[in-house]
Amino acid sequence: MKRILAIVCCVLMLVPCQAKKKEKVKPLYVWSDYSNAVYNYIKNSDEKSETQLIAAYEAIIKNQSESSRGVVPPGIYAEYGYLLLKENKIDEGKAMLKKEIETYPESEVFVSRILKITKK
Amino acid sequence: MKRVLLYCTLVVCVEVCVTSCSTTATKIPKSVAYKQMYDEKPLTILLMPPINRSINVEAKEYFHSTLNVFLSNCGYYVIPPILSMDVLKKESAYDAEMFLNSSLTKFNDVFGADMVIFTIIDKWKKSTLSSKVQVKIEYIIKSTKTNQVLYARTGDITCDTSVSTGVGGLWGMAANMAFSALKTATTNYIDVAKACNGYTFYTDLPWGKYLPNYQKDLELKSNKKEFKTSITPDILNLYK
Repeated sequence: MKRILAIVCCVLMLVPCQAKKKEKVKPLYVWSDYSNAVYNYIKNSDEKSETQLIAAYEAIIKNQSESSRGVVPPGIYAEYGYLLLKENKIDEGKAMLKKEIETYPESEVFVSRILKITKK
Repeated sequence: MKRVLLYCTLVVCVEVCVTSCSTTATKIPKSVAYKQMYDEKPLTILLMPPINRSINVEAKEYFHSTLNVFLSNCGYYVIPPILSMDVLKKESAYDAEMFLNSSLTKFNDVFGADMVIFTIIDKWKKSTLSSKVQVKIEYIIKSTKTNQVLYARTGDITCDTSVSTGVGGLWGMAANMAFSALKTATTNYIDVAKACNGYTFYTDLPWGKYLPNYQKDLELKSNKKEFKTSITPDILNLYK
């Protein structure tokens, strides 16, 4: 009888462990293909690498519901905006840069500097 | 008696293995190791272009394109590397070596950075036959307010990039070797840089503001100031 009770207790103890195992831990941020895209951009700075980088930014912005913060990672709006400005998409670029300041107020020092240069 | 002897031998072996990996004294709590960092509570970090002292010319880019992901994942705000890279180039400040021992206050004025990270790649050596990449890297984080070093770690990290074909026996062994050799030749070395960053920062960098358990890691043990470690293919995959 004692043996049976011991086995039942063990099984009951293991059940919550199993349930916990199934829970998927969400990362703080979802980065998609960011590092590879940045590497290619730094290395080549051509149209292909720029397209890959923009695709990475868009995927990151789209997929943050899968992250634990649910917020776009630091610097993504700013980098995306900066690239859009370089492509002469001024309004879209500025909107992205402003989103960076809204999401991360600590970015204001350098982002507002870029916005000021753009106005000129 | 034999069992006792065997147990003692095992304990000694484990002790030897553990101590051989450490080159400095015993681990101390993070609150002691990084006291200034916890006192200053920095949030914003600027990446300086990595200083490459290795013979691999591309090693600099491997780290420059991966560092911000790991620092952000540790809860910090990282000035976006593409932006900072362009600004530093325009200001003729792209050579990080120039600022290693000089005042950093201007980085606070221009970027709003509370701290600056210097990365020095001392070694990047790939071995095709053993499918291993050996990296020696220094990470130095300095305050832009006091110029003091807030965090400094040197890692001697060996990444095993080998793969298994799943084929057994002698043919399998030959196939694994050939496949691993081919893979090392074309390995995504960005993954190696990621593993170096991940192992170093996730093991003991103080948790930043955007982590849910911010300031709750004070009693956790810090890593050794100089450490040596091997990263297996399974662990390498975790940092991808």
